[in-house]
Amino acid sequence: MMNIPALKTKSTLFCTAIIGVTLAFPAIRPVYGDTPPENGIVSLKYLNYRDWQTGDTALTAGMSRERIGVQALSLMSMVPVAGEWSLNVSLLDDTVTGASPAYHSAGFPSAVSGASALDHRHAGDVELTRYFSRGSVTGGLSYSKENDYISRGISLQGSWSTEDRNTTCTIGASVNDDSIDLSGDNVIASKKQKDPEKKMVYAGLFGLTKVLAKTDIMQFNFGYSIGNGYYTDPFKDPDIRPRGRNSATFMTRWNHHFESTDGTMHLSYRYYQDTWGVRAHTLGAEYVQPLPKGWALTPQVRFYSQSEADFYIATGSDPSKPVPPPAGAVYYSEDQRLSAFGAVALGLKLSKQLSAHWLVDVKYERYEQRGEWSLSGKGDPGVASFNARDVQIGVSRTF
Amino acid sequence: MKRRLLQNTFHLLLLAITLALSGCSIGQSVQPWEKGTLARPEMTFEGDRLEKKYTEHIYSSKEAASGGAGVGGGGCGCN
Repeated sequence: MMNIPALKTKSTLFCTAIIGVTLAFPAIRPVYGDTPPENGIVSLKYLNYRDWQTGDTALTAGMSRERIGVQALSLMSMVPVAGEWSLNVSLLDDTVTGASPAYHSAGFPSAVSGASALDHRHAGDVELTRYFSRGSVTGGLSYSKENDYISRGISLQGSWSTEDRNTTCTIGASVNDDSIDLSGDNVIASKKQKDPEKKMVYAGLFGLTKVLAKTDIMQFNFGYSIGNGYYTDPFKDPDIRPRGRNSATFMTRWNHHFESTDGTMHLSYRYYQDTWGVRAHTLGAEYVQPLPKGWALTPQVRFYSQSEADFYIATGSDPSKPVPPPAGAVYYSEDQRLSAFGAVALGLKLSKQLSAHWLVDVKYERYEQRGEWSLSGKGDPGVASFNARDVQIGVSRTF
Repeated sequence: MKRRLLQNTFHLLLLAITLALSGCSIGQSVQPWEKGTLARPEMTFEGDRLEKKYTEHIYSSKEAASGGAGVGGGGCGCN
């Protein structure tokens, strides 16, 4: 939802359909752990997102401007079937407006085309899970369609628990087959072509979840993915990227319940590395505090830092102008998302259990990204700081 | 670059296995009747699925890194 071809579509039909389906579906509680769910759930969530950049240093002065706005609606329904199965269906519809830079923090489309730029995405996925006495197997299908991008995915995941159910091993794999349309009006002239490009991503995951105590549970996940195909950004220039990208992730999560406050803390850390030379650290923490009369408050914080990609080209003396790629360079990009930076996100979620079956929640999050916050110390000073905020409003019905 | 990634991947895998094995040995043997707290919704890793989908999509469209929690889900043209 970052790169927006100037297409004019309308978004509301699918949303209306989603609401209709929501009202028609039975509902229950989510699947907890590796046991068949006794109840089902229907959840509906609305997202309002916008981002902007701030030229708040001597080098980036004058670069402040609005960028992207997103409105999205999603529906999730999980239904238990025959005591040994569950079916999970998710649908999403989002509309994106605004414009993103062609290089670094500049090169935006003209005021007219930027204002009219609009993208529309609808996506859905289906998961079917079969539960056994000490494990489960889940098969999934996913589909996502934008004006210029189609993604189709298939996944399979299995888990197995020890006899005391204190240790669970998980193995999963997925394949994504993506198609990129390069014939649109906003595609850079040198990248335009009639035939769509392809991208295939194969991913695998090994995970281990361990009950440490009656108030502590921990998880370790190791993931690896192999991607081949078209990774170049069709709307950015200069930008030519390798046709392959392999990545490895290591993630650990720890949940701890405080009996003294009845609150629960979630801590997580992820290490990421890929063949483009990007290394990233992500640290997340949140604390769920139940309050009287069904209220619950959840403050959240997230810290992120990444190094730059090997082929990232930093800004020059004038950050408002693109930098010519070095002579002989095969790959190059001036996409600020491939530069070194750090980011901080602060969020607050408030939920209210209205009755035994109804839950409503609202969440606000503020996100900021700056080059000087990168742990690598090599942030690009000519890139304007990036800011975002999002509001989510949700309602769930269980039975 | 691929070789460096493979080497680091191997080290990460070793770390994951070591932590996993140490996790197996450091935990107490929690009995079924002691798992009331662990069964609470806020003690699961799944959490609010729609919130996680939105939030992870926002992060992955603004940052170079993504994934780590699971497999599956659709790709998008945002990154």
